[in-house]
Amino acid sequence: MAMFNNNPEKNKEPETIIGQSVKVDGNFKSEGNIIVEGVVNGSLKTTSSLTIGQNAKIKAEVEAKNLFLEGEIKGNVKVFEKTVLKNKSKIIGNLETVALVVEEGAILNGKCMMLPEQILPEVKKSTK
Amino acid sequence: MHYFIFDQFLNDKKYTTVINKIETRLTDLGINGRTEKLSILKRLPDTLNDIDKKGATTIVAVGNDHTISKIIGLLPAHDITLGIIPIGSENHIANRLGIPEGEAACEIIAARLIEKIDLGKANNYYFISHLDILSNEQITIDCGSYSVSTTETSNILSIRNFKSAKSDGEKDSSSNPKDGILEAVFNSEQKSQGFFNIFKKSYSKESIFPFKKIKIKCSTETIPALADGHLTIKTPIAVEVIPKKLKVIVGKNRMF
Repeated sequence: MAMFNNNPEKNKEPETIIGQSVKVDGNFKSEGNIIVEGVVNGSLKTTSSLTIGQNAKIKAEVEAKNLFLEGEIKGNVKVFEKTVLKNKSKIIGNLETVALVVEEGAILNGKCMMLPEQILPEVKKSTK
Repeated sequence: MHYFIFDQFLNDKKYTTVINKIETRLTDLGINGRTEKLSILKRLPDTLNDIDKKGATTIVAVGNDHTISKIIGLLPAHDITLGIIPIGSENHIANRLGIPEGEAACEIIAARLIEKIDLGKANNYYFISHLDILSNEQITIDCGSYSVSTTETSNILSIRNFKSAKSDGEKDSSSNPKDGILEAVFNSEQKSQGFFNIFKKSYSKESIFPFKKIKIKCSTETIPALADGHLTIKTPIAVEVIPKKLKVIVGKNRMF
């Protein structure tokens, strides 16, 4: 599984792994780290980090504390801390985030709105 | 009072020496109690009911994973602590609980370190370790607000309370029988590529979903699931975790 060198959550054990051989439909909510390599349709929310691999296909509203994207998301994305868009990653939808890192080759087709850091605690509470 | 239940397979002569050693060690430690030896005529459910009526506080299962599995199915109805003395092969559950084989397990029983652990419940049957389904059809788990389906043709779904310690001796933080959560683990068999790999089976990286309650369905037909490698249950199966349901005597080297 492709992982990112600058991923601060790399050493933390993911609690949920959506592998290449499965498809998730519906509203998936978690409080732990999530790694996605498969297909997700619906919504995908976590109060921890979300790592989306190269082969993942996400057609969903996405919410996470941190997002590390290598694959593709079709849908609106809200990130309460840091978003990292890796080379060849793709978002087709709007992105709201507090911090943003974009590598050359990443594609963002939609509006990008930077969230003020001050609202972070309130946003966090509302997601729990 | 301790009740020792010896499984039927221990009636074989090859186990006589080890059983004698265990009985001697238990006497030395002052924890000898009543002994029940299972046979064709002496069935486990009747034996457990009799033992419960006599006011047993601890049942010690002497045998292997199958012995434990059979007792687990009946024990939640009784407020009794489970001890284990593993003998023979297939002792992965005892291994996970930090209980050594044979005579050495008597020390664990004497130390009486008790943990309350979760049990899995599949339809009306309890399991302690895992529930496995192997299917060439699509398997779906319904978790309430979302569902997970397999996309490959050959799939293994394993519901884990804790991993059986077949190969590794490492502590496993991901499957903890005290966390009030079970895990659904999907693996899919993938076609091998290349001439030299045609006889090898390879599996894709597993998918892991922690849960408290799910329903398992199969796309077309009813398929069997094996609970603790012993009990057969047919789909559809409602699976849930029953937190801290079992009081069990564990060793210091337990893997959780």
